[in-house]
Parts: sequence; C-alpha cells; structure tokens
Amino acid sequence: MSDEYIVLKEISKRFAGGVVALDKVTIDIRMGEVLALLGENGAGKSTLIKILYGVYSADEGSIYINGRRVDVHSPTEAIKYGIVMVSQHPQLIDTLSVVENLALGLRNFNAFTSIRKISSFILEKSREFGVKVDPWEKVWRLTYTQKQLVEILRAMLLKARVILLDEALTYLPLEEKKKFYKFIKEFTAKGGSTVVITHKIPEALDVADRIAVLRRGRLVGIVEGTSARIEDVRRMMFGESAAEITYEKLPASQPGGRVVIETQDLWVTGDFGEDAVRGVDLRVREGEVVGIAGIVGNGQRELTQALMGLRKASRGRILIDGRNVTNRGIHEVREVGVGYIPDSPLALGISIDNSMAENIAALYQRKSALINWSEVYKVASSLIETYRIVIPGADSLIKVLSGGNIMKAVVSKEINYCKKALIAHNPTRALDEVSAAMVRRSIKEKAINNGVAVLLVSEDLDEIYQVSDSIHVMNSGKLYGPFPPDEAERSKVEHLMVI
Amino acid sequence: MRFIVVRRTKPHQYIKPLIIVLSLLTGMILVAILLVLIGAHPVTTLVTIAYSFITPQVVKDMLLLTMLGCALLISFKGAVWNVGAEGQLYVAIIPIVWITLYAVPWSASSPPHQQVLVILASITVAALFGAAWGAIAGALRAYVGIDEVPVTLIMNYVAYYLVNLLILGPFRGRYVYGYIRTDDLPDAYKLSINIVMQRTGNAFLDGFLEFIRAIVYYAYWVLAAILVALLTWVVFNYTSIGLRIKILGSNPEFLKAVGVDARKTILTALALSGSLVGIASAIYYLGDLTRLTYPIQSQTASYGYLAILVAWLSMLELPLIPLSAYVVSSLRNAGRNMQIFGLGGLESTLILLGSILLTYSTLRFLTEYEVRVVK
Amino acid sequence: MSLEQYVANSIIELAPVFATFYLVALGHSLFEKAGLLDLAIDGVFFMGSSIAVRAAVASGSPIVGTVVAAIVTMLLGVALAFLMTYLPISHGAIGLSMMFLGYGIGIIVGYPARLEVGSIAMYAYSEGWAIAIMAISIAIGATVHIILKYTKLGAAIRACGENPHAASSLGVNVLLTRLIAGAVGFAIMGAGSSFFTLAWQKFWDPKSYTLGYGWLAFTVALTSGRHPIVLMPISLVFGGLIFYRVRIGVMYGVEKDVANLVPFIAALAAMLICYATKLKKVLAPPASLGKVYYKEERTV
Repeated sequence: MSDEYIVLKEISKRFAGGVVALDKVTIDIRMGEVLALLGENGAGKSTLIKILYGVYSADEGSIYINGRRVDVHSPTEAIKYGIVMVSQHPQLIDTLSVVENLALGLRNFNAFTSIRKISSFILEKSREFGVKVDPWEKVWRLTYTQKQLVEILRAMLLKARVILLDEALTYLPLEEKKKFYKFIKEFTAKGGSTVVITHKIPEALDVADRIAVLRRGRLVGIVEGTSARIEDVRRMMFGESAAEITYEKLPASQPGGRVVIETQDLWVTGDFGEDAVRGVDLRVREGEVVGIAGIVGNGQRELTQALMGLRKASRGRILIDGRNVTNRGIHEVREVGVGYIPDSPLALGISIDNSMAENIAALYQRKSALINWSEVYKVASSLIETYRIVIPGADSLIKVLSGGNIMKAVVSKEINYCKKALIAHNPTRALDEVSAAMVRRSIKEKAINNGVAVLLVSEDLDEIYQVSDSIHVMNSGKLYGPFPPDEAERSKVEHLMVI
Repeated sequence: MRFIVVRRTKPHQYIKPLIIVLSLLTGMILVAILLVLIGAHPVTTLVTIAYSFITPQVVKDMLLLTMLGCALLISFKGAVWNVGAEGQLYVAIIPIVWITLYAVPWSASSPPHQQVLVILASITVAALFGAAWGAIAGALRAYVGIDEVPVTLIMNYVAYYLVNLLILGPFRGRYVYGYIRTDDLPDAYKLSINIVMQRTGNAFLDGFLEFIRAIVYYAYWVLAAILVALLTWVVFNYTSIGLRIKILGSNPEFLKAVGVDARKTILTALALSGSLVGIASAIYYLGDLTRLTYPIQSQTASYGYLAILVAWLSMLELPLIPLSAYVVSSLRNAGRNMQIFGLGGLESTLILLGSILLTYSTLRFLTEYEVRVVK
Repeated sequence: MSLEQYVANSIIELAPVFATFYLVALGHSLFEKAGLLDLAIDGVFFMGSSIAVRAAVASGSPIVGTVVAAIVTMLLGVALAFLMTYLPISHGAIGLSMMFLGYGIGIIVGYPARLEVGSIAMYAYSEGWAIAIMAISIAIGATVHIILKYTKLGAAIRACGENPHAASSLGVNVLLTRLIAGAVGFAIMGAGSSFFTLAWQKFWDPKSYTLGYGWLAFTVALTSGRHPIVLMPISLVFGGLIFYRVRIGVMYGVEKDVANLVPFIAALAAMLICYATKLKKVLAPPASLGKVYYKEERTV
C-alpha cells in the first residue's frame, strides 16, 4: 500500500506549563485502511487527531494531503478535505434536533435554506446508509449510541474519505460496537480510511490494518495489525517494563477491623445520563489500601466523585467512618478527615492562580475565621521539603510550577491532610518515576502508620499491584474482585480490565 | 501568515504595567482627537490633561475613590462583579440623613460626646445599609442564579428613585429656599477641617498651599482611606473569608472540593463589598456632600461608576488601588477641565472612562495569553 | 370618545414605545442567541437614539436617522462580536466598557443637534407613522424568528450559543456566524433605539442616558427567553408600564419617582420569577452565553 492519502509530518505540540503533548510525530494515513492509534492516557493520540481536524494548531510540523501541503485551521477546512472526526463525547448540540445538527456542516445548501428542505435530503441519505433515527428528535433525548450513530451518519453526509474516531466507540455496548466496526470495514472496503483511537489492544488488533503506538508524545512504532502480537503491542505501549513488575512490592499493611469507606449498592449517573457506576459494593478498612484497576472511562471518576460528595448518588448508600454521608455534600465528607486526590487535579485539586500557602490554607484552615499562617507555612515548608517540590517559595503562585510539581503540590497536601481516609485517583499522573515512587510510598506509610483507609484508583496496573492490599477491577461501571495482589491473579485482572 | 492565541507558558514581566499605560494613553488620545475634531487646539488639550494631574481637586476624589476601589476589589477578586456601588452609596446615606437631622439632631444644648457618637453611628449604619443592598444582589446570584451585573446595575436605579422619594417626602428640607433637597448636615457632624491660608501671590506657592489646605480639609478622609485599605488588606491576608473570595475568583471548583460553601462566599463577598461602599459613603456625606439634592440621578458625581474603573485599572492589586484612584480622579478632573458642552465635563469623562476600559478589557487577555504568528 | 377611538389612540400612542422596547430587546436577543453576552445594551441604546437625532436633524428626515443609527450600531456589533469570539476576553468587561463609551459618544453626537435646533419634534416621525413603525417591527421580528427557527443559518447561530466548540466541530464557521448575529442584532437595536427619540419622546436630552431603559429592554429579553415572538407581548407590557406609569401615577396621586421606580422593581421581580421557578428551564439562556471561546485548552 503506497497510496498515502494523508501524511502528518514531524508534528509537535506543547501546552501551557510546558507539557509536551507531541514531539515530532510522523504518521501517514492510507486509503482503504483502518489505522489504530494506541497509547496510554496522555500519550498524545487525541491531540494528534485534533490537530488533523483543525481543532488545535500544531506548534511545528506540516500536514500533506495527496502530496500537497495544506493548512487545516478549523474543522470546516478539514471537512473540505474529506476529514471528519467523531469524539468520545458527542460533539453535537443538545438543544438542536438531529437534522439541524446534521445540516450545519453541509456545504451544498446555503445559509437561508430551510431545515425542512435539508431534512428530506438527510432522510433520503440516511435510508441509503440504513440509519434509523427520528430526524426531528432533539439530540438530548437520544441515547449515547444513537448520538454516535448520528455522528457517523454526519460523516457520511459530509462525504468523508477519512473518519477519525477519537475513542468514539469506547462507551458503546458490545453489540453496538460490533455493528460500528462492521460498518467501518465496509467503509474502508470502498476506499475510505478510518483512524481509530483506543486504549484496548485486543480491539485494535481486531479491526486495524496497522497499529501506531504513541507513548509520552512520541511515536514508538507502527506494526501491521494482522501480524502483531498482543504482548509486543503492550510492550510498545507501556515500555519495556510492562512485561514484568519492576516495582518492588511495598510491605503489606495490617488492616484493622473497622470499615472506614463503605458503599452499598451504589449507582451514580454520568455526564451523559448513563449509569456510570452500577451497583458497587466496596469496603475499605482502616490501615488498608484497596486498589481499583481499570481503563479510563469505566466509572472510576464518577465513583470517586460520589464518594467525596461531589456527585449525586442515584441509588445506594455511602458510609465514611460509619457516618452516612450519601448526597450530603463534600463538606460532610471533608469533616470526617478525608483527603482527595482528584482525577482532574487542575479543576478540583488546586487553584493555580493562588499560592501554595493559600492552597494549603484553603483546605487546612477551612473552619477558622482567621488564618494561622505560621501553621500553614510550617505545613508548606515540610511538604516542599519532603516531596522535593521545585518552587521558589510557599508564596509562589502555583501556575509558575511545572506540571509535575503542580501534581506534587496537590498530592502532598491531600496525603498530609487525611486523617481517616484517602481517596486517590491517579495520584502519580504527570510525575516522574522517582517522585511517583515516593508518592506511592507515602500513601502506603499513611495507611500503615496512621491507620488511614486508602482507596487507590489508577490506570497504572503496576502501581495498583505495588501499593494495594487488595485489588478490584472496574469495568463498565461494575466492580469485580477483590483479588489478592499476587502474581497468579494478574492475568485475571488484566483480562477483566479489557473485556 | 495568521495569528493564533495561546496560553503563556511563563508570565511576562512587564505586561501588566504595559497594558495599563496603553489603555490610559488610548483613552486620552481618543478624547484629544475628539476635542481637536471639535475645534480645540491639540497642545492646549494636552496641557489641560497634564495640568489635571496636579490640581488640588484631585485630593478629594482620590481619597474617596481609594475607599470605593477597595470596596469593589473585595467582590471583583472573587469574580463577583459588584457594579452597584453607585446605588449602595446613596442607599447608605439614607440612615445618615435620618440620624443626623431627625433622630439625633444637633442643638446648642447637645452634650459634646453626642458629636462623636452620632458620627460613629452614622458610619456603622451606613456600612450595614450598604451591606444589605449588596447582599440582595448577592443572594440573587448565589441562591437563584441571576447574574449580579444586571441586578446591581438595576438596583442603582432603584436606589436613585428611592432616595428621590425620600427627598421629596420625609427628608424634604425645611430651610432650603425652594430647592428640592434635604437640610444641610449640622456643622457639628461634619467631617472636615477648614483652615484659612493667606495667599502669597506666587502662583506656584499658592498652588502648593492649596494642596496642603485640601489635605488638611480632608484629613479625616485620609485616615478613613488608610483604614479602609488596611481593612481590605487584613481581609485578604488574614481571614478565611478573604482567602475564600480569592479562590472563588480563580477556581470555584477547587473551593467546593475543599468543602467550602461557594454560595455563602458569593453572598458574603457582595455584602462585604457593599459595607465598605457604605463606609466610604458615610465619609463622603459627612465630609463633603452634606445634603441630598433632587433628582439624585442628575446630581450624582457618579463615584460609584468611577470606582469600577479604579478597581479594574488596578489589575485587582490592592497596593495599586490608590495609584489607580489618583489616575482616575485626575482623568475625571481632566474631563471637567475639557468640558465640551458645558455639561460639567460629563461627556469627556464618559469617553475617557469608556475608551480606557475598553482598551484595557481587550488587552487584558495578554497577561495570560500570548499572540503567536504562524506561517 | 368611543371604544374604537380609544383603542386606536392607544395603539398609536403605544406603537413607538412598543417598537423601541421590542426592537432593542430583539436585537439584543439575537446577539445573545449566538453566545455573545451583551452588557453594552444601555449604552448602545442611548448612543443609537442620539445618533438617530443627529442624522435626522442633519438630513431633515427621520428615516435617515433610523438608517444611520442602525448602520453605526451594526458596525459596533460586528466589532464586539469579533473581539468576543477571536480573543479570550471577558464579554462582561467589554460590554460594560462599551456601555460607558456609548453614553459618552451619545452625548457628543447628540448635543450639537440640540444646540442647532432646540426642539427635534419637526424632525421626528409624525403620528401617521405609528402603525407603519409597529408593523415593520413585527415584520422584522417575524423574519428573525423564521430565520432563527427554520433555516440553516438560524441553527448555526443557536449552535454557536449552545456550544461553539461542538458547532465548530460540526462544520460551523463560529466567527462568521457570530459576526452575522452581531451585525444584524446590533442593527436592529440601533433601529429600535432611534424610535425612542424620533417616534416616542420626540425630544433629546443628554441626561436621558441615566434613564436605564436599556436595562429594562435587557430584562424584557431575559424574561422572554430571547424568543422573538414571546418578546412581543412582554415588550408591550413593559412598554405600556413605562408609558402609562406617569399617567396612572397622576390618576392615583402618586409621585413621579414612584412611577419611575416601578419598572425597575418590576424588572427585578420578573427576573426573580423567571429564575426561581420552573420557567428557568424554559427561558434558559444559551448554555455558552458569555463564555470565552478558546480552543487550545488541555488539562494536566
């Protein structure tokens, strides 16, 4: 196959705070193929695709289509080149009807064309593609699957030659996913190309002609889908360390009898109205570290937010230290002495326009009218020292720090704060190996020395194994386990993560 | 070639003063151009503007605007936009008029300590009224979700007409010679020190002495401005509520995540802001205004609106508030000196205010973002 | 006076009042439908009404006044829409600044006309125009409604207001769409404001920038859910309240300032009712109203 339709050449992209999202990535997309982009969270897959679709602009590098160098400044221009993206979160306007949404990108109708007229065109086409959705239904009434169906129909209406699926199928039920993949095969058989972004290796192996693996903003390599083995791809994705556990297992703690974090048949609704957490029963005893493994987007975020009182539970109960805190708000939970390392640290974990000291004071001095700064500074300097946070001083604004140091500031203040329980979601994201190891150690020490109950949710399976006293797997909102953290169970855990 | 806007990876050192200076220049140049178009001499115009920065009239406005600027800073820091200082200012005067003229009027037989007590009571009650007026908008924003900007603005009009009604009704003066206004504040309650200074005949020296006279005259204001600024400083540096307001302004999500009631914080920010407006208002009334004249919307010096400019131009930095107040009062002064149609310089002030604010709000993004040129 | 005569008189009296509030609120609504927060409304209102006077006096025709006011405000609308979409800046701060600037420009533009002619009555629309003005306003409103609701452009405008990022991803040119909404919206506001001085008041005073009627139009738009048709009765009610308040006040022996106060209290009450009840969902503002439209955002 030499007919490269699109070439992305040496694309680099940096975000604020110096985060390198992409570092000279070169990838070609060929006609009639399914190309899978594999990589961990933050590997740069999504950024790459968004640059191709004109959502982001690349700092360096160029895009060639049919050998000609082009600028793609906006999705409108991408669509002109026959490129259409479908996201994980449907990019549709909820308050508009299906037909209105679809009409927006159609260039063969002028601005004053009535929607009714466009609708007959759309209806005709959707029959042609065998898609059944009521065109006059408002988008917010559609199920998630229907929305993604509309997105695919949109790609067809726009005469897409390249469809970019940015985790677009991740949330879909298995049956539906199969239908989508069948459709994609047909599409590529007719000469179109598809780029599929996913975390799931088996899925990539299943559908892709070629698999490109990204790690930390760099292209690790491209392999043929038919000949690639799951183990090889896994090694490419996670690095050499993936095959064996390189992390030393931390000493096991001696959990007490008292249950500190407990949920009973907990159900939580996600952002799209779906049941993100489905009947979870969880118990974490004092001094125990319970790990929840799983691939991003399986309800972990909703679970931790519900535990903290930041998201409403639609059914079930949450008990912290024996107190019923279900839907009582985060204030009650914090009152018990719960530390929280959130999945979105910049939103929920820290205020970057304030200083380190102010961030600490906001949490630690929540209840006093006057702030005892000497106490705050004592905490601040001890955290800065212990966690080796590179910061000019406790008075410095958080936003001048690097991503890793911001994360250390978030993590250290929460670990130090917790008295009864710690809920940590990806606590070592954006940290280098040394800092990550230190954070894991201090989490474990907190459990062993202070009897804190720790719930560790992480996408890093090695981390889960290193720290946890017992392991669960979360997949599609359901919790599996617990499993003991010994090697024998590891393959079982991995299997549960990807099914 | 095209421009893209991206977040700065590290803060620019001089961008803040640069934006401020650029905004001020734009405003002044715009007014100068307008005046030249109308027929004024460009050099005269520039001289007038420059002169306006060193006249004694600046003292009074600067002191008052420092207080009001601090008041607005309290809410602006929390990204709560109290643009209702104008209304809060007049509402806070209502109880003072009542106390000083009706409840505890001054007479020759009044005990001497009454003077101090009434003044202190006036300031306190004014603070409470200002707080209450601000809290109404605060409650609507925090618990009902109505944008505080239109609400505080609409409440300015409500305040105007409410005060008008009081002037026409219960507060109508008995000794006002057919004017529609309240009686004058009794001299005993006035917060100003009048001294007489001999003219020397030397224009420069006289100008300087006039400055001294103004500063002495407004000595209480100096004290009040220092106290208000100090209070604001304490609130932001030593109290929980101050810290919460700051975090509310930068990341309300995080504020919630530490377990703080963000709604209560919004309400408090507006109430606190209103109460400081009330204090400033009391000082203004007792030291300079001394009576309310009908109709208030035509008589107002619009300090409440000028204060918005003061707070904004300070880049929300407390130490810059007095400086910002000085610049704004000088510009207000320039507006008066450059009046075009005999409207007391209203039109040039509004143009100055508007164009400075507009340039400033347009360029402000450059503190956080940079514009990159891409081939 | 017979009932028919009475009704006819009322219509003629109220037509310019209705047209003013309706068109200003309509233009403002269209602007906001595209996700652009408009806090400039009161300044634009005064500015437009002053420009109309100046142009009418200069040309001798009120129609020229209306057209010039519409064109100038249109340019302003384009500029605001551009700044608010192209740069990550606060819509609120830009709007409020523009409000002050609008007051200032209004005085500077309007004053010479007053100095020149004293009374502007002879340059204003005659009573015979009342019905036409009302009919044109309704026609403009109906057109805006049809475009917003039934055409591709209308869907694009609404999409930009709800979620400009998704709209862009769907193939909408967000900047162009908002420029159109800004131009048309502000042109309508400008035309509406011209009827304030040239058809309703037939009088111009520099101090009328303190009237705050722009904020009442703002409330009209807010409490109608920015819907071109719903705006009609609400504009009529608010317009009627303002027009008749003094007369009603005199009838019941109430002070003029009570009459002045009532519309603003009514505005606050109307907002409260809309936000505190289930109406909030029906009248909800566009989800992205006033939000900075910046694409290159990413979390750690």
